[in-house]
Amino acid sequence: MMASQLTGSDYGTGGPVSESHALVSQLYHPGNQRDPARINEIQTRLQQLQKGENAWEIADSLLRERSAHHRFMGALTFTVKVNVSSGDIDEAMSLEILAQLINHFVAIVNEGEQAMVIRKLASSLTTIFRHPKCSWKRAIWQLAASLANGGYVSEEHAKTVNFLDGVLPALNTQQALALAFFSVALAEDGLRLEVEPQDAKSILERSQANIEDGFLLVLYIMQQISISEAALREDSTEVTLGNEAMSSWKAWLGVYASRYTSTGEGLQSVAISCGQDIIKMLRVPTLSESAATVLTQAFENRRWAFDDSSIGALSQILSDSIVTMHIVAITKGDEGDESMAYVDLLVAYLSYVHLDLFSDPIKPQNVGILTILHGIFKTPGYASIDDPATPRALEYWSEIAESVPSELNTEEPRYQLVKGQLAEVVLGLFNKLLYPSGEDLEGWSEDEKAEFNAFRYEACDYLLSAYPILGVELVSVFQKSATTHLENHDWRGFEAAMFCIAQLSEAVDENGHADQCLDAIFGSDAFSNLCTGSESKIPLKARQTLVDTFGKYESYFERHNTLLAGVLNILFESLSFEPCAQAASRSILTLSKSCARVLTAELPIFLDQFDRFRNKPTATVSTMPKVLEGIATIIQRLPTDQEKVETLERILQFFVQEAQTARKEATTSYEVGQAHAHLVLSCIASIGRGLRADSEDVINLDTSEDQTPNPPSFWNAGPGAWAQQLIMQAMRLLISDFPVDSGIIDSACDILKAGYTESAGLFVFPPHLTVDFFKNFPLGISGTDVIMATASSFLASHASHAGQIRNEAAALIEHVAKLFTIMMEHPNMYDPETANAGIDFLARLLPKYHDVFFALTRPLATSDVQGPPVFFVLLKFTLHALSRPEPLTIRSGSSFWVAMVELRGDNAEETAMIDSILDQLIPLLCDTLINQLAGRCSRSDLPSLNDALRRTIFARTRQARPGIASTLEKLNAQVTDSNGNRVPVFSPQDKSRFLESLMVARGARSQTLELVRSFWLKCRNMSFDYTQ
Amino acid sequence: MSLCLNRLQEERKQWRRDHPFGFVAKPKRTEQGTLDLKLWSCAVPGKKDTLWDGGSFKLDVIFPDEYPTKPPKCKFTPPLFHPNVYPSGTVCLSILNEEEGWRPAITIKQILLGIQDLLNDPNPESPAQAEAYNMFKKDRPGYERKVRQVVRENPPM
Repeated sequence: MMASQLTGSDYGTGGPVSESHALVSQLYHPGNQRDPARINEIQTRLQQLQKGENAWEIADSLLRERSAHHRFMGALTFTVKVNVSSGDIDEAMSLEILAQLINHFVAIVNEGEQAMVIRKLASSLTTIFRHPKCSWKRAIWQLAASLANGGYVSEEHAKTVNFLDGVLPALNTQQALALAFFSVALAEDGLRLEVEPQDAKSILERSQANIEDGFLLVLYIMQQISISEAALREDSTEVTLGNEAMSSWKAWLGVYASRYTSTGEGLQSVAISCGQDIIKMLRVPTLSESAATVLTQAFENRRWAFDDSSIGALSQILSDSIVTMHIVAITKGDEGDESMAYVDLLVAYLSYVHLDLFSDPIKPQNVGILTILHGIFKTPGYASIDDPATPRALEYWSEIAESVPSELNTEEPRYQLVKGQLAEVVLGLFNKLLYPSGEDLEGWSEDEKAEFNAFRYEACDYLLSAYPILGVELVSVFQKSATTHLENHDWRGFEAAMFCIAQLSEAVDENGHADQCLDAIFGSDAFSNLCTGSESKIPLKARQTLVDTFGKYESYFERHNTLLAGVLNILFESLSFEPCAQAASRSILTLSKSCARVLTAELPIFLDQFDRFRNKPTATVSTMPKVLEGIATIIQRLPTDQEKVETLERILQFFVQEAQTARKEATTSYEVGQAHAHLVLSCIASIGRGLRADSEDVINLDTSEDQTPNPPSFWNAGPGAWAQQLIMQAMRLLISDFPVDSGIIDSACDILKAGYTESAGLFVFPPHLTVDFFKNFPLGISGTDVIMATASSFLASHASHAGQIRNEAAALIEHVAKLFTIMMEHPNMYDPETANAGIDFLARLLPKYHDVFFALTRPLATSDVQGPPVFFVLLKFTLHALSRPEPLTIRSGSSFWVAMVELRGDNAEETAMIDSILDQLIPLLCDTLINQLAGRCSRSDLPSLNDALRRTIFARTRQARPGIASTLEKLNAQVTDSNGNRVPVFSPQDKSRFLESLMVARGARSQTLELVRSFWLKCRNMSFDYTQ
Repeated sequence: MSLCLNRLQEERKQWRRDHPFGFVAKPKRTEQGTLDLKLWSCAVPGKKDTLWDGGSFKLDVIFPDEYPTKPPKCKFTPPLFHPNVYPSGTVCLSILNEEEGWRPAITIKQILLGIQDLLNDPNPESPAQAEAYNMFKKDRPGYERKVRQVVRENPPM
């Protein structure tokens, strides 16, 4: 037993106990501190001893040593040993360990040992407390009694003396502090128990039995502190004691909140009393900051720990105490981050009282608090950067602004009261929104800039929340500011005002509520001067914000289109400035799109401005296409095609030249040439987007079957033909024999797609252009999926007159068959992207073009006459791809076969042919699907494979049943049993049951998926599913 | 107030108090200017020192009435070029899947951090769009070029 182990010490005899003493001495010996290998060696050996059979003796012996290091290690050894030998400890032994620990605890406390050691031993005590066999209950009471007694006192005996009136007053300050250490450790341990399910309930119940004692200890200490003069000295034990008691309160509040069983509501009032005593500590300079921190945390998570009386006391302190002084000092710039605990407390309190702050009339102390709160916006420095208080105050006001509409009636006097306060915040906030001057900004890191920007957006979020309450008056404040600052050329003030106006667009742009305010700015002479460029010195930041504002008031400018020419002038001018170019190009696009009709007269000016812009470094793939799309939208509004073509030729000629340049560049540098080619094709594609007919004039694609796919028009046979030739020329230059990349392919496909929704126009090319483009690319090129998707769009655009493009459709399908054949014949050339894109293409065309598909009965042109028909090559490939592991191919293959099994011919003959093909292929399909589902595919593939299986069962039961049965019969899935033998997963009965269940489900989605999922799990020898 | 709205109100508070740097998450506003707590407008920044660094990607988070029992739907607006984002913009992530990793205790902060992780660490097992997935698998330089362009076009606010 442990007692005999403890008394039978070998200390001094060279055994493990003396070895441990020596090791601890060496561990902390200054000479070893620079030898990590030695330290590591000592620690390894010590850990062995701490877990070994002599650990109890070692722990006891080390704790008897008069050295903090040895005692610390002794306490640690107790903890380690209790944990590693947990299974060997029964109730009696746990009590024996407990008695030993308590005796040690009392002894070292009375000897004035260091806090570090006492805390460690307190932690050992909590370790034995949470042992499942330990029956220790009123731990704080018993430990307190033992401390008062000078040695171990049994729990029963301890309880004979009243805890609060008898035991606690018998403790000196050191003992009370040690008890507080233990109380914190016990409560924090109790909180951690929440996440440990085994045995947690009974341990937690014992832990909860200490809540009252925990709170009473806090109460006792707080009362002692309040009458102690020593507590006013920064370095006194009383200050440590006070801090520990406050931490203890916080920890026990947590345990109280997590209680499983009712532990008496009386406890809550004790907890509240503790909180009230802690609130008083805010007036004690040495403890006020800690008190503020603890109270803030309690406000956030344990609101029930305060009652009206607590709130009354706190409001008094916040309005008139050293706490107030600290906050005022912050607003004057005399104190910084170090005093933020007080601001945090203020905000936590305000958040707690919420709208109750605005009683009618407001309580005097709350009037004081509101004055302090508004004063925070006067704190010197930039918010978030050198003024952390403003964002915290703003947080509160945002909460209030958000709550008012749903919580206060507009008729209530309080509504007007709050409204006034919210307006005051707006005025106070404005100076905080001024963007730093260049000089100030120089020292800022990127993160600081981002933080300040984030604050500005938070502030605007407040403005948006306040708008429903303050109304247009809010915009009017910023309008006046913007107008005045613009007249005075105060660009910082102008920028800040415009920034706010821009953010408020969300509330006022579409409904026009603030049009008068906006007229006052954009209709002013000062703004006219800005538009004509006479204010060329407008700083970059102000220009950037102005450009953003234009983009946000799309509806306003649509209503006030006389202003547009000037606005677009500023926007074009701003394209030359890197920080503005992106936003300017976006705004040019949105404004041109929404107001194209009224801008046609300005087109020559815009084209000149574009000519100036196109060679600037800011003319990139992110900006130039947007500008061109905007211009093309205006061109589309010109009254005649002749006018349109003249303008377009001017632009397109430039891009043909650029294409030639890109081609030359590619001969020396692929990358430079590719980037240039990408830019050229993106720009042409964007012109195509801009020229698209408006939705109200959209061409009806469901025209008659007889319609010619590309009838002669102005654009392909008339004066517009040359412009179309220019586009095709640029395409040829940058596609044929050019090192294309995915960006180039993307843009080229966009050019082709631009005309698919039109019946006539510059971008409506002859159908063979798409086919030639499609056939131009070799197997495996990156971007194949985009090319094939374009081919799908091409076929879809002609779906209403599919008969007119049979040859083109057949050519596209045959090209896919060729690619598939290469991959089948040369497995090393298998390209999952081509497989997926090709199958997806086939799945999409099947409903409308199945007659073209099945008419491909010849062998491929490249293979000999004995080869299978083209359509059969395609079908076989889809089955092959479906048997592979690539997830996208599994999805497209499944979709293809869903379309296939549900396909019905247009006439009896075609239906008979489809049925006969499916008779041959469904057994193969079932074989592929079942083999994938038998554990080969990934879990994420199950839904798509399930779709193919269930819809085959539903649509083609006659062929599916024997197909599945035959595959299941051949299936020889095996798993390893507990003896290490390989055994079959399924008996014949299991297989038959699975088949019957699938048939009974008759294609029902969730039912079949459930069956398929269990089948897959079994095949993978997994008995578990995702944890829920 | 319903469980869903209570929880969202609390999420809003927690987010105000503490949110990771560079992230945005706020409920959208109705036409009357009040908050629609079930529809949030968010932005996720690319992680520092990754390909996505310097971009801020906007997404809508749509909460069902059954939230938090059921997960929200996260949708990039406009749809993002990424292997695990569907062409519609919807994010494919296990913690957002009711049948996989969703737990009611998952917070908006955790969701957005999870999406940030996903940006530079796509899951090739669950492709959601062919374009980004194919480029990620077979044309890494092209993929990286495209991501850099996406980053340039999505600067932080």
